[in-house]
Amino acid sequence: MLSIRDLHAQIGVRKILKGVNLEVKPGEVHAIMGPNGSGKSTLASVLAGRAGYEVTKGTVAYLGEDLLALEPEERARRGVFLAFQYPVEIPGVNNAYLLKAALNAVRKQRGLPELDAFEFLALIKDKMKLMQMDESFLSRGVNEGFSGGEKKRNEILQMSVLEPRLALLDETDSGLDIDALRVVATGVNSLRSPERAIVMVTHYQRLLDYIEPDFVHVLSDGRILRTGDKSLALELEKRGYDWVKQEASAA
Amino acid sequence: MSAIAPSPATVHYREAFERLHSVLGGAAARRAAAMERFAELGFPGAREEAWKYTSLRRLESRRFVPATPTTPPANVPAAFVAQRLVVANGSPVGTVPASLGGFALGTLATAPEEQLLRPLSGGGTERFAALNAALSAGPLLLSTTAGQQSDEVLQLTLITTGTGPTLASPRIAVRMATGSRARLLIDHVDDGAHEHFTNAVLDIELGAGAHLTLYRLQRQSERAFHIERIETRVDENATFVMRDSQLGAALARLDTNVSLDGRAAATEITGVFLADGSRHLDSHIHVGHHATGTTSLQDYRGIAANKGRGVFNGKAIVHEGAQKSNARQVNRNLLLTPGAEIDTKPDLEIYADDVQCSHGTTTGQLDPNALFYLRSRGLSEPEARSALTRAFAGAVLARVDEPALARHVHDELDRRLVRLLEVAA
Repeated sequence: MLSIRDLHAQIGVRKILKGVNLEVKPGEVHAIMGPNGSGKSTLASVLAGRAGYEVTKGTVAYLGEDLLALEPEERARRGVFLAFQYPVEIPGVNNAYLLKAALNAVRKQRGLPELDAFEFLALIKDKMKLMQMDESFLSRGVNEGFSGGEKKRNEILQMSVLEPRLALLDETDSGLDIDALRVVATGVNSLRSPERAIVMVTHYQRLLDYIEPDFVHVLSDGRILRTGDKSLALELEKRGYDWVKQEASAA
Repeated sequence: MSAIAPSPATVHYREAFERLHSVLGGAAARRAAAMERFAELGFPGAREEAWKYTSLRRLESRRFVPATPTTPPANVPAAFVAQRLVVANGSPVGTVPASLGGFALGTLATAPEEQLLRPLSGGGTERFAALNAALSAGPLLLSTTAGQQSDEVLQLTLITTGTGPTLASPRIAVRMATGSRARLLIDHVDDGAHEHFTNAVLDIELGAGAHLTLYRLQRQSERAFHIERIETRVDENATFVMRDSQLGAALARLDTNVSLDGRAAATEITGVFLADGSRHLDSHIHVGHHATGTTSLQDYRGIAANKGRGVFNGKAIVHEGAQKSNARQVNRNLLLTPGAEIDTKPDLEIYADDVQCSHGTTTGQLDPNALFYLRSRGLSEPEARSALTRAFAGAVLARVDEPALARHVHDELDRRLVRLLEVAA
């Protein structure tokens, strides 16, 4: 589904990704862990198409297409979804408008008819219940005045409405208390399916207690140094990141 | 010292006035005095502070023909509300009813000329108010009686039309009696056939405890010149509310002067302007706090794109003795494309010590993070930009509580923004 080969990216002259390789197949859940500044969020941003990053080398194929050649909205319509680390507050654009416009953009791409207001409301009601969100939220501005936890829940709600093929979760656990983390994890787990892949970027192992990954990768200084199963995450929790770096440089 | 020779444009209007004098229907001496005042002040020079960002060279170079009451109306856009009177080139079309939409109506034939053609002095547009008084073909007086409450909206469609470049001088006087309440909608249009010049005056007085909501829509064609002065005096406990949508004309200048004369008088002036294409839209607001406990709010949102240029000059003066007053000003501006420009000058002068005043001005572009967020959810760039731009204007548009008008302004902004953004993307 997603095939990243020797990806190099920089902001201005600062090189951040220095040869990332990653293969993601449908149904898999990958966790990308690493110390601060290792390039985790840059990788998520480059995959979603955020401006300001220059890809200097390498390729990213998504469902056989050159992902990097697509505009952000084209990626979204083809099923790539980024749950933001810092969801943006947009007063004056309400949640219902955004959800409906986003859903219809995706449906149009898939050759499905657009939903009218009633069909749309019926569809999102259950999903909102799952994310423990009150209906009044629909008429509020996007993320306007939301707490950190509400913002993250809103990201997962959008994801569950849009049903992406490839979900990228950028530090979705940051700033969440344990109750909010459970709600978010329940939302993410409800989306696990044989057709869908999930790539989670996280600093802490905590999230992986709730969303069990098939693969754990350690990203450090712009490269994936080690890949393992979820036991690698536990080892990182115990020993920190330094031993991975040392082993890598020794090799 | 030798007198400065009057400019050719001034001479043109004085000569036109002398020819028209006899058909203008009364108030001859008052009109002649107004013409003299106009000739004395002339067109603004390049160094005049009130016209710092707005040049009238193009306007001054044209020789518009002042309209006479006989000019027939062209295609008049549909009314937004049930009660509507069309005023073509400054004259009411058809028989003026005795009352309409919550107001009693008067003309020069039935109402005192000192109310209809009251001189308005001071500020950058005194000259044009005087020119208007000299040439206004059919000034109207709208009045209420004490305690009269009306929830209706009276719409006046002011249309400028003619077979050549025409000067229309609509003039509306509004006299709100003690404790009365009314709503007025002024819709400025033109036939778009020529470069017309609309020189409008609204002269408003609110008696104690009165409440007036004025909705203003200026949607003249891209060739139009538009100058307007809205003069408002607000007595104690009275409230003047204005909802402005400045969307049209090639060059438009609006001076809104509000004098809070009585204790606890209040005003709330909100508006949006959209300077796209090569429009030049200039809004000046001047609020004078003259009494204790007066409050004012100015909140304008400006959008400029392409070669469009916006000017906003909001002034509030809290005079000595106007203790416990509250003056707030907000002006937020959005530049949608490179090359667009908005010049803004918030201005607070405070001569009392126990007051609350604030002002805030921002000028910027759409937030790139918000744009990316919306695009990452599948919205196209034009859709995302349009949604953010509408959100920007939305806070002010939400206050337009006349549904048909609000819908029109929304749709018009949408139509123009989408076109604009598709070209830009």
